[in-house]
Amino acid sequence: MKAAILTDLTKCVGCEACALACKEINDLPRDSANHMLTAYTWSAMEHRNGVNIRRQCMHCEEPACASACPVGALSKTPEGAVVYDGSKCIGCRYCMIACPFGIPKYQWDKPIPLIQKCIFCYEKALKAGEQPACTAACPTGATIFGERQALIAEAQQRISSTPEKYQPHIFGLKEAGGTSVLYTSAVPFAELGFPANLIEESYPNLTWKVLNKIPGIVTTGTAFLAGLWWIVNRRIKLQEKPDETL
Amino acid sequence: MKLKLPKPSFWLITLAVIWAAGIISVVYRFYNGLGAATNLSDQFPWGIWIGFDILIGVALAAGGFAVCATIYIFNLKEYRPIGRPTVLTAFLGYVLVIVALLVDLGKPYNVWHVITMWNHHSVMFEVGWCVMLYTTVLFLEFLPAFFERFRMVFWQDLFHRILIPLVIAGVILSTLHQSSLGSLYLIVPTKLHPIWYSGMLPVFFFISALAGGLAMVIFESYLSARAFGKGIEHRLLAQISRVIAVVLMIYLVLRLQNMVERGAFKHVFDGSSEGIFFLIEIILGYITPMMLFFNARIRESKAGLFFGAVLTLFGLVMNRLNVAITGMARSAGVEYLPSWMEVAVTLSVIAAGLFIFRLAAKYLPVFPREEKTGVHQPPLIEAGRSGKLAMGLLAGLLILVLAGFGYSLAVTRPNQSADAPQAAQAIAAESLEFPAPIEFVQSEESPGQVIFNHESHVDTSAPNCKNCHAGLFSIRASKAGAAAQTRAVGHDQCGTCHNGEKAFNYEESCDGCHMSSE
Repeated sequence: MKAAILTDLTKCVGCEACALACKEINDLPRDSANHMLTAYTWSAMEHRNGVNIRRQCMHCEEPACASACPVGALSKTPEGAVVYDGSKCIGCRYCMIACPFGIPKYQWDKPIPLIQKCIFCYEKALKAGEQPACTAACPTGATIFGERQALIAEAQQRISSTPEKYQPHIFGLKEAGGTSVLYTSAVPFAELGFPANLIEESYPNLTWKVLNKIPGIVTTGTAFLAGLWWIVNRRIKLQEKPDETL
Repeated sequence: MKLKLPKPSFWLITLAVIWAAGIISVVYRFYNGLGAATNLSDQFPWGIWIGFDILIGVALAAGGFAVCATIYIFNLKEYRPIGRPTVLTAFLGYVLVIVALLVDLGKPYNVWHVITMWNHHSVMFEVGWCVMLYTTVLFLEFLPAFFERFRMVFWQDLFHRILIPLVIAGVILSTLHQSSLGSLYLIVPTKLHPIWYSGMLPVFFFISALAGGLAMVIFESYLSARAFGKGIEHRLLAQISRVIAVVLMIYLVLRLQNMVERGAFKHVFDGSSEGIFFLIEIILGYITPMMLFFNARIRESKAGLFFGAVLTLFGLVMNRLNVAITGMARSAGVEYLPSWMEVAVTLSVIAAGLFIFRLAAKYLPVFPREEKTGVHQPPLIEAGRSGKLAMGLLAGLLILVLAGFGYSLAVTRPNQSADAPQAAQAIAAESLEFPAPIEFVQSEESPGQVIFNHESHVDTSAPNCKNCHAGLFSIRASKAGAAAQTRAVGHDQCGTCHNGEKAFNYEESCDGCHMSSE
C-alpha cells in the first residue's frame, strides 16, 4: 500500500493535537514553538489569514531531498514515507537546498547536528501498518490517514459534492511530481504560504538528466583527448624526423 | 631590490590576526555549532563558506587543467613555464576547498561516507568524488617539483611515463567537477532567481571557470613576479588573455541567448536588486574584460593585462555569489549577511593559500630558472606602478561588492510581515468534535467507575486543548489499547486541576468523579 495523509483545511479547528502528538511520539522538546517547522517541531500548526494550516513533510513520491543526499541518508520507503538515517548523514545540507517545500531542518544549536523532519512515524507506526500519531490524534478528522488513491478519491468526492466550500485543487496531487501528503482548502493555496510556482516534473529528474550523461562524457572525452594527443605527437615526430624523446 | 612587497612585518601581523580570528572561529564553530558561529538558518542553509570558499575556490583552480592540456596534449611547449605555478595554484585551491568544506559540514568526520555509501543520483555525490580524485591528480601532477628539488631521477622517469593519462584524467575530472557545481543548482528551479536559473547552468559554470582559471594564471604570475622580483612571461600571458577574450565571448553569447530564450530579461530591468547585481556581474565582470582583452594595446601593457584578469576574476566571483546568495535570497524570505566568524574563516583560507603558494614558490622549483626570464624584460619598476593602480582598483571593486551586497540585502527584505502568523485565532467552535466519553478502567479499591466527558471539561467558546494535551494526558492512541492507557491515569493527573482551587478537590468528594454503581 502507498500510505498517504489527507489534510482538509476546512475541517481543521487548530487545536494542535497533531503537533502535540508528534512531539509526544518523537520525544521532542515541548517548549519550542509549534507554529513553524524547526528541527524540534516536525508537525506545526500555523494560523494564517484566519485559516489553520497544518505543516509537515510532504513525503514526495519522488523526493528531491533523497536524490540530493550524497550518501543516501534520506530515502523513500515502499510504504511511502521519506525517512532519514542520521548515522549516514554528513551534514552538507544539500537536502535543505533541494527540497522545494523547505521541509528538512537542521539542528543549528548542536555541535554534531542532524537533519530533522517528519518521518511519517515510520519506525513506530507505519512499518507495522498503523497510522501516524498526528492523524490518530486529530479530533475532527481534518487530517486523516489512508491509501493514496483512496484519499485522492475522497478529496475529489468532497470537492465535487460541495464545490462552493472548496478550491478545485488538491495540493500534492501533481505538485513536484505528486506527494503522499495531500491538502484541500477553501482558500487558494498561494494565500496560505504554499509554494505556488512548483513544477510538476519530478525534481530528481532535473539533475539526473545531466548526471546520466557522465559515463558518456568520460569515455568519449578520454578517447578524444588521447586521440588528439596521439595525432599532435605524431605530427611533431614526423616533422622533427625520428629523434626527440617522447 | 626595492620592489619587494611592503614590509614583511606588516603582512605577517595581518596574517597572524586573520589566522587568529579564523582559528578562534573554527574552534567556536565546532564547540557551539553552526548556528552560533554563522548567520545561517533553516531558510538560508548555505552561506559564504559554500558560495565563496567552495564554488569560487574550485573555479579558480580551473587554470590547472586548461594549462596542462595545452602543454601536454596540444604539445605547446612554450607554455611550460607557467605549468607548475598553475598546477600548484589548482592543488592549493582544492586542498583549501576541502578544509573549508570540513568546517562547513555538520558531521565532517563522516565525509568518507561518500566513498562507501553511494547515491549516484546525487550531484553532491559526484562533486565529492571529483574533489577527491582531482585533488589526487593535482598532487601527482605537482610531485615532479619535489622529485626535481631532491634529484629523484628514477621517480622523475617513472612519472614521465604516466604523465599523459594523468593529464587526461585531470581534464575529464575538472570538466565534470566544474560543471557539476552548476548542476547542484538544477534541482532548485523554483528557488533560484530566473535570471540565474537555467538548464544550462553546468555549461555556464564550466565555461566561466575556464575564463576565471586562466585569469588566475595571469593574476598569480603577476603577483609572483612582484613578490620574487622575477620577470613576467608577458608574451605567454598576452596569448592567454586572448584565449580568455574568446572564452568570455562564447560565454556571453550562450548566456545571453539562453536568457532571451527563457524570457529572463524582463527581470533584469524591473528595478529589482537582482537585476542590478546581474548587470554589475555581466558588464563589469564579463563584457569589460572581454573588450579589454580583444584590444592588442591593452594586452601588451602589464597594467592592462593585470586589470583585465582582475575583472575576469571579479566576474567569476560575482557570478558564483549571485547564484549562491543573491539569487537564493528572495525565495528564502530571509536576509543573510555572513557573521564575522564566517568572514574570518574565509579570509584565513585565502591567506593560507597565498602563504603556502609563497613558501612553495620559494623553496621548490615552481617557477622557471632566472636566466630564462629577466633578459628581455623591462625594468620591474613599471610593474610596481601599474600594480599599485591595479591594487587600488581591486580594493575599490571589493568595497563596491560588499556595499552592493549590503544594499541588496536591505532591499530584498522579505515581504513576510503581511501574512505573519497570527498569535490568536478563533476556533470554529461548532465544528469541534469531541471524542466519545472515555471510560477509565477501575482499580480494585475504586468506589466507582470514572467516565470522562470532553463536553464538561472544555469551554467550547474558547477551547484550549493544550491545557491538558499532550503533557498531562496523552492524545495518542495506545498500541496496547485504550484500557492500558486509561489505567495509567490516576489521581495525580486529575488532581492537577481537581485540587480545590481550579476545580473541586478530589480528596474531598470521591463521587464527583467515581459514579457509584447503582
